[in-house]
Amino acid sequence: MFRTQSSVKAVLGGLATLAILNVAHAAPDAQAILAASDAVRNPGKPFALTTTLVEYRDGKQTDSNTLTVYSKANENSGQFRSLIRFVAPARETNKLLLKSGNDLWFYDPSSKASIRISPQQRLLGQAANGDVVTVNLAKDYRAELAAEEDTQDGDRKTRHSYKLVLAATSPDVTYHRIEMWIDTANNRPVKARFYSESGRHLKTAYYRRYQSELGTDRPTETVIIDGLNPNWVTVMRFSDYAWREVPESWLQRDYLPRFKPE
Amino acid sequence: MRSAALTLLLCLGTAYAQDADEAALALADKTETQAARTSDWRVLTEGALIESIPRNGGSPTRAQRLSLDALYDTRLAANWRAVVADRLDLAWRGEPTYDDLINTLKEAYVSWQPNADNIADAGRINLRYGVATGYNPTDYFRANALRSVVSVAPTSLRENRLGTAMLRGQTLWAGGSLAALYAPKLADPSNGSPFSPDFGATNNQDRWLIALSQKLADDFNPQMLLYSDERNPPQLGVNLTRLLNDATVAYLEYSGGRSASLLAQAQRRSDNVEFRSRASAGLTYTAPSKLSVTLEYEYNAAGLDRNDWNALRRGAPGAYLQYRGFVQALQDLPTTQSVFVAARWQDALFVHFDLSGFQRIDVIDYSRLSFLEARYHWDHADLALQWQHNSGEATSEFGASPQRTVWQAVVTYFF
Repeated sequence: MFRTQSSVKAVLGGLATLAILNVAHAAPDAQAILAASDAVRNPGKPFALTTTLVEYRDGKQTDSNTLTVYSKANENSGQFRSLIRFVAPARETNKLLLKSGNDLWFYDPSSKASIRISPQQRLLGQAANGDVVTVNLAKDYRAELAAEEDTQDGDRKTRHSYKLVLAATSPDVTYHRIEMWIDTANNRPVKARFYSESGRHLKTAYYRRYQSELGTDRPTETVIIDGLNPNWVTVMRFSDYAWREVPESWLQRDYLPRFKPE
Repeated sequence: MRSAALTLLLCLGTAYAQDADEAALALADKTETQAARTSDWRVLTEGALIESIPRNGGSPTRAQRLSLDALYDTRLAANWRAVVADRLDLAWRGEPTYDDLINTLKEAYVSWQPNADNIADAGRINLRYGVATGYNPTDYFRANALRSVVSVAPTSLRENRLGTAMLRGQTLWAGGSLAALYAPKLADPSNGSPFSPDFGATNNQDRWLIALSQKLADDFNPQMLLYSDERNPPQLGVNLTRLLNDATVAYLEYSGGRSASLLAQAQRRSDNVEFRSRASAGLTYTAPSKLSVTLEYEYNAAGLDRNDWNALRRGAPGAYLQYRGFVQALQDLPTTQSVFVAARWQDALFVHFDLSGFQRIDVIDYSRLSFLEARYHWDHADLALQWQHNSGEATSEFGASPQRTVWQAVVTYFF
């Protein structure tokens, strides 16, 4: 009886070892890596943060904007909806942008007008509306593992990374194709290149200045470099992370004139 | 040989990209950000130099304007909010006249929000419905709301106007909203004295409105309105928008109901009450270069068709002037059809320089109102040069304006 139990254990142990070896040699699941990297960038519950954008052209600062971004994921699609409040400069104070997929509404408290805008209509300088809102890439893109390679991160350190190629599966996205490097050690996004439908290189982004925010280390800065003119640079800094419940009824056009956070 | 050249080019390209990335990261390393906090205040002051060239060929007239505009929006307590918005316009037109100073109390109301989904308001509210750009048939509270016109641009006309005193309740749910309001008669007639809140302009009859919106699909959230006042049967309003592609938004704004024609209303007659529709339908396209173009068709069945408009223009001047004044106060279209074309180019030619303009074309008498603006903005200040031109026959919609051309240089400072 004892011998039999030992034999079974030995066989099971052998099978487990084989399974582990098999897993070790299987290609990592690209979609799972992308989802894990989304979780590094985006908290899992509704939250708010302050985004400061500083723009440069040819080395000179040309613009600066401060926004408060409130984000909440849709229970069905898993994708975030964002309510963006303009804090600075003074002329833009308290203007609002609501983004839920391709449904974008802009509200100006002076004219009391809620205007529907198209995804192509930009409200900030070089940054697309899609750059400032919270996005779960794994919900809108199909990821494929293109390579595992060393790449330099935004702090000039070499990171062993998965290189994923993301193809859009949703029409609601800002970019048609993305190349993304994700640290193999911890699933942190390192950098990304964004492309248009025609294959044009639109932007490069570096995710850096990792620090602990809402329970895990997250990038608190994204450096965006224009693909056509690399002298156009936008530095996005994220601060004041806080859990912030956003009632479902607030994420609609009719609530925009009512929005007045504490 | 060819592959070696390609490899060299690839290497050079990669090296260039790495250099560019390194330069960008070095720039980011040096970036310092200042903490900006939300403010309950939005205050601006505006100074303008105006030159008007009359249509009869006389010598130009000059004027100066100084405006102070303040909006204060604050929380009084956890569930209470107060909003006050006011604008003061001072104008000098060579010699002082009574209208050199006009104060517009745009808003003064309190809101009570006992929970996330229910809100009640009381006071003067600048309430604006409508998804169209140039003409808003469902903007029912625009009538008599203008005290001081500083620009003919639609955004300025919506912004610098009196709100209406009302009681309003709103309930919201995921993807939908229901609002109901009652605006009582408080005074009549309008009071033109400089600091009058002028409730006689905005609250000279009892009015009510119900607005319902419901998201029916991810991309479709129609709004239905029912409006009524003492002088006309209820009017049904609809606001629809649709995204045609990544760059184009289409919209339709409609209001319909039984009413007398505008001419009959101006003459205080009610002999031709019938079902009449008003509508604006348009498209806004945005190019990657940040140029947005809007094309809008506008229709008003209560306005005059070509025969009636021509008859009025050739008839007694008193009746013509009475009609023009009445329709202008309502901010409605005097004739049945118009076309509105607008363009806005952000960061045109260089950063912080915006070009915008629009043209209104009265399709019935072919008169036109043209407006162009060049604007440069700094962090706290804007400098704008505006050009307005009215063209058309002497009694046409736009040709009747006493000014042929108006130039305005405007400096705005945001505190």
